[in-house]
Amino acid sequence: MNIKSYIIVKLKELEWSTLILVVLLSVSGLTAIYSIEAQHESSSDYFFRQSIWTVVGIGLFLTAYFIPRKVLHNFTYPAYGFGILLLLVPILMKSSGAVSRWIMFGSIGIQPSEFMKIFLLLAHAKYFADHKRKLSNIKEIMTPVAMTLGPTILVLAQPDLGTALTYFGILIVIIFWAGIKPLHFFLLLAPILSMLASFQTLSFFIWMGVIIVILYFNHLPFWTKTLNFIINVGLGGITNLLWALLKPYQQQRILSMIDSDSDPLGAGYQVSQSLTAFGSGGPFGKGLGEGTQTHLKFLPEQHTDFIMTVIGEEFGFVGVMVVITLFYLLIAKLITQAYNSKFRFDSVILIGITSIYIFHVFVNLGMIVGIMPVTGIPLPFISYGGSFMITSMILAGLSANMSSVRRAVG
Amino acid sequence: MLQGRNIVEGWRSLLVHGLLALLFLILIGRYYYLMIVLHEKYAEKATANHIRAVPVLASRGVIYDRAGNLIVDNAPSYTISVIPIEVKKKPESLERLSSVMEISVEEINRRIVKNRRGSFAPAKVFSRVPFEKISHLQEHRLELIGVTYSIEPIRNYVSELDLSHALGYTREINRDDLNRFNKDSDYQPGDQVGWKGLEKFHESVLHGQRGFRYVEVNALGQEIGEVQDRAPINPIPGHDLVLSIDSYIQHTVEKALADSSGSVVILNHKTGEILAYASRPGYNLEMLSGRISSKDWEALIQDPRKPLYDRGIQGLYPAGSTLKPLAALYSLENHSNAKERTYVCRGSYRLGNRSFGCWKKVGHGKMNLHDAIQQSCNVYFFNLIQDIGIEDWAHIARDFGFGQRANIDIPGENKGLVPDTKYMNRKYGQNKWTRGNLLNIVVGQGDVLVTPLQLAQFAGMLAQRGTQFQPHFVNKVVSKNGDVIQVNISQPNDRVTASKDSWDFVHQSMWDVVNGKKGTAKAARQKDWDIYGKTGTAQNPHGEDHAWFIGFSLDERYPYSWAVLLENGGGGGGKAAPLIGKVLRNIAKRPS
Repeated sequence: MNIKSYIIVKLKELEWSTLILVVLLSVSGLTAIYSIEAQHESSSDYFFRQSIWTVVGIGLFLTAYFIPRKVLHNFTYPAYGFGILLLLVPILMKSSGAVSRWIMFGSIGIQPSEFMKIFLLLAHAKYFADHKRKLSNIKEIMTPVAMTLGPTILVLAQPDLGTALTYFGILIVIIFWAGIKPLHFFLLLAPILSMLASFQTLSFFIWMGVIIVILYFNHLPFWTKTLNFIINVGLGGITNLLWALLKPYQQQRILSMIDSDSDPLGAGYQVSQSLTAFGSGGPFGKGLGEGTQTHLKFLPEQHTDFIMTVIGEEFGFVGVMVVITLFYLLIAKLITQAYNSKFRFDSVILIGITSIYIFHVFVNLGMIVGIMPVTGIPLPFISYGGSFMITSMILAGLSANMSSVRRAVG
Repeated sequence: MLQGRNIVEGWRSLLVHGLLALLFLILIGRYYYLMIVLHEKYAEKATANHIRAVPVLASRGVIYDRAGNLIVDNAPSYTISVIPIEVKKKPESLERLSSVMEISVEEINRRIVKNRRGSFAPAKVFSRVPFEKISHLQEHRLELIGVTYSIEPIRNYVSELDLSHALGYTREINRDDLNRFNKDSDYQPGDQVGWKGLEKFHESVLHGQRGFRYVEVNALGQEIGEVQDRAPINPIPGHDLVLSIDSYIQHTVEKALADSSGSVVILNHKTGEILAYASRPGYNLEMLSGRISSKDWEALIQDPRKPLYDRGIQGLYPAGSTLKPLAALYSLENHSNAKERTYVCRGSYRLGNRSFGCWKKVGHGKMNLHDAIQQSCNVYFFNLIQDIGIEDWAHIARDFGFGQRANIDIPGENKGLVPDTKYMNRKYGQNKWTRGNLLNIVVGQGDVLVTPLQLAQFAGMLAQRGTQFQPHFVNKVVSKNGDVIQVNISQPNDRVTASKDSWDFVHQSMWDVVNGKKGTAKAARQKDWDIYGKTGTAQNPHGEDHAWFIGFSLDERYPYSWAVLLENGGGGGGKAAPLIGKVLRNIAKRPS
């Protein structure tokens, strides 16, 4: 098959709906950035830059769409290695104590941790596709866990908890999708949940009850069950004990160590201002450029992580619902495509992309209205930022590629 | 479509779909609650967040004399404020300000704390700043982040009159007054409030009501601009006072008083209007209005001549012989032989083993009531009081307004003291006091204490044959657009009744004090109009006696009554009578 006919077939197969959803979301983001900028006297060029990133992003969407599956397949592990190297650059360039997330090319900075999401995703897909692994043996998840831990440690060194959690989110969804047994899945997740539950007595005891019931009704060697239970109780207890021993300022220091974005006073202020912006927006909003909360600098970071506050304040509940609906359509379609896919490689990539979108959308939209902790998680296609825009676009292009390739090649 | 088994079990796909739906429902629920259910609450909060009401001061009412000449108005003054949050971030600003204003940083910080109205609102630290300092600050404004200045009106004393005690001054409101006022008014820290005199008494009239303009501020508290859809509330200016003070007479009195310590009160006995009011020494109103340095304040308090003391209404003095017409009127009304009874004055009066002297050491000889008033013979009245008794004397004294406030419209009046049996018993013990005390009382010494205002009112009632008109300073309250808000007209009050014959006799005697050959106040005599009067000498245990002269004119053109007190002025006839003589001559010469 020559390149020309490949491109023609691919173009015919392109699911325009994905591209349209992505463009609509990008336009929402550009509108919000435009609104912020129109009100500011200082000549920031966020809108201009983001427009460029969007155009570049659409180009990369198409590029990702046209890359033949074989090529992807072959370059997956080298790409993963390249990603790890990129993550090392900021650490090696570390000067004066502060580790940057950025690699600077002149005035343009890129965040390797964003691109790492793509490489990690591909590596998982290849691993599960190549060996037809169905995770019937719990040992089979060791490789994906190791592949995830590498970049996670490098990202935590920055420190950037949000991105590290995204990597783990991808892992969890993928191993679930790849066929891990429910019990294994449960035993894997239980220790993490035990640690989280330990911060509140009642929830901890309920959770322990759940563990006992599940262990009791499953066929496992007695000692495995006992060991598992002891591990969960122990982890919860130790976490709780260690945490309680710390003075509040030490707890605070640890929180900001894990995540430089977490500044509870600042975050509390931001969220309170953000709630005011949404609440005052009401059903239909104040109109484009009329948001007082956002334009009077009550909200810092408004063009990045808190970008939705502009849409909420100026276009109201209706505007927010439009954006949420666009995201829902995009993600739900991905899940369906992942399910319908006949190739493990494609399916795992599609569900990995799904996990990235769900994680970003829920954490971001949740944190700005106070139901998730404030971590630096941007909103795909909408938040200002080149690296993340490009990553999101490439992911979208990949998803379109993966859902069409079945016909083009098959 | 390629056929074949799906590689993922259906339930896994359903679970992920379910998870997606669940998370999005949580989000939608949360956004619905926030943006629809709580909308109103947050809408209010957003407004409060970015709209700030900036107070606009109401201009304080001005003060005119009776003819409408300005006495006090307002002039712009520079005020320096700092924005607490900004100087906290940039402490260098305060150091710079401190060096320019030559006041310690600690003192500036103390003022910030005192006048603080929140972290973003300017707190006043200096008032009445000279323009040079402002231009100096303007030059260094880059080093003075968080320091702002504004123009606000202060009192401007237009006339040359020294009405310090009557006008009083304004001062920055203190915490107590703030708490006391704020139930029904709009005072804020840093506001000026009437502190003494008319400024204090008529505070509610003069003050006005502040207005507000609404500005949009950003999160840093910086003003962005005026809010378009919210009309400003304009301040309501205070009302103006039109006083009864006659600037010409006041000026004449001030010139005559010159540097003496004492007080002059001249009122119109047909209306109660106070035409001239002086208490000397006075003080510099400009210095006291607004913020006075502690050094100047100390100097004022420590001054042995007590310039802050309003002698006209607060000064308590023995009345001396000016009270003799009281006993005379009583005698005329109650003793059938009042005019005829005579006593011989040999220069002193003996009571038991004590001797009570007359001012004329050689004695007046045989005296009747008329001569005793005219020549102010003490011995005559020492004898007369034996037939009156303390209760009756106290009664008539109180009828003439002694021992009680005149309820004039400036604060701080003293009641004075009219001793009666109850008082004497309390002070000296039951029956421990003697007739000797009585003798002192009739000649206005000992326990009797009066204020110059009370004596002027007394003179006025003598002129009006017992009818009193409440003395007052303010004739009218007028709004800024000229509407008369309030008119003060004192109603006649017949407080002392006596026969025409008795009044005539008292008038004649007082006429003779000024015009008679042997009168003690000949210096008050006027060429073409009749002056009635009575001198007095208040014994002063601390130094030379105080001189009194009270009197009135029954001339239709000049329905005036007065009291003059010269501290350490010696005999009343000696210095007080010539002073009023001079004033009255000037009044007669007044250019029309």
